Amino acid sequence: MRPSSALAPQDRPGASHGKIRRFALCVLVELKNGETYNGHLVNCDTWMNIHLREDGDKFWRMPECYIRGNTIKYLRVPDEVIDKVQEETSKSRSDRRPPGVGRGRGRGDIGAKPGGRGGIGRGQDDGGSKGGGGRGRGGIGGKGGIKVWEPL
Amino acid sequence: MASAGPGLESLVDQIISVITNDGRNIVVSPLFDLLIPSSSFLFLLSPILTRIALPPLRQGTLRGFDQATNIILDESHERVYSTREGVQQLVLGLYIIRGDNISVVGEVDEELDARLDLSKLRAHPLKPVIH
Repeated sequence: MRPSSALAPQDRPGASHGKIRRFALCVLVELKNGETYNGHLVNCDTWMNIHLREDGDKFWRMPECYIRGNTIKYLRVPDEVIDKVQEETSKSRSDRRPPGVGRGRGRGDIGAKPGGRGGIGRGQDDGGSKGGGGRGRGGIGGKGGIKVWEPL
Repeated sequence: MASAGPGLESLVDQIISVITNDGRNIVVSPLFDLLIPSSSFLFLLSPILTRIALPPLRQGTLRGFDQATNIILDESHERVYSTREGVQQLVLGLYIIRGDNISVVGEVDEELDARLDLSKLRAHPLKPVIH
């Protein structure tokens, strides 16, 4: 039986503050082996590695744990988060530097010669900055891109 | 959007159904579907109900995905099939499924889905995927 709710009302991020705070985002993580972990999300990375800190009263208590991303089956997250995330993405998109100004980060062509100047960029709309590796994926957001939230 | 990836762009903000490797079926669809799982009488009222409950009724959709087919579902629920009783629906809410566990992602035909009487539907639960 699955727990009925991933979070207690007082733990909801929107309950006391308008923003998601670090340590305040309560999540449920189910691993591929069926184990579940409840806790406050402290940090996560692009591999979906997850650092949880204790959430009180559930079964076996441990003060914190770190979960390797590839063991995860799914995450349950408070519903409000999705709204917060969109604020985050639009904000971070608006203060993003215009394309071509950055350092031309991104993948070069696979067949690029070693020691060469990097290949043709993968940038789609602006053709990449000149000579560089093209622009990267531009980070967060984009329609269809996974929505990422950053701990504040 | 980068050219690499699962090509789910067209499904973003659509109603979708996901089948996971462990044989679960996770669907995002209108909420009244959930509130009134058994009564076809109330289902007839659902157009009216939707009109009344317009602001709080948030449609579930595919909210995002990435190159590893990790997907974000909003307002999702799981459909549990059994041969003994009708389909049970468990509310899951905001759900992030890791791509490793996803077998199928498909678009749901909204009209067809609305015509289903889940309380009468009997089906064997899906077996997990065996690698």
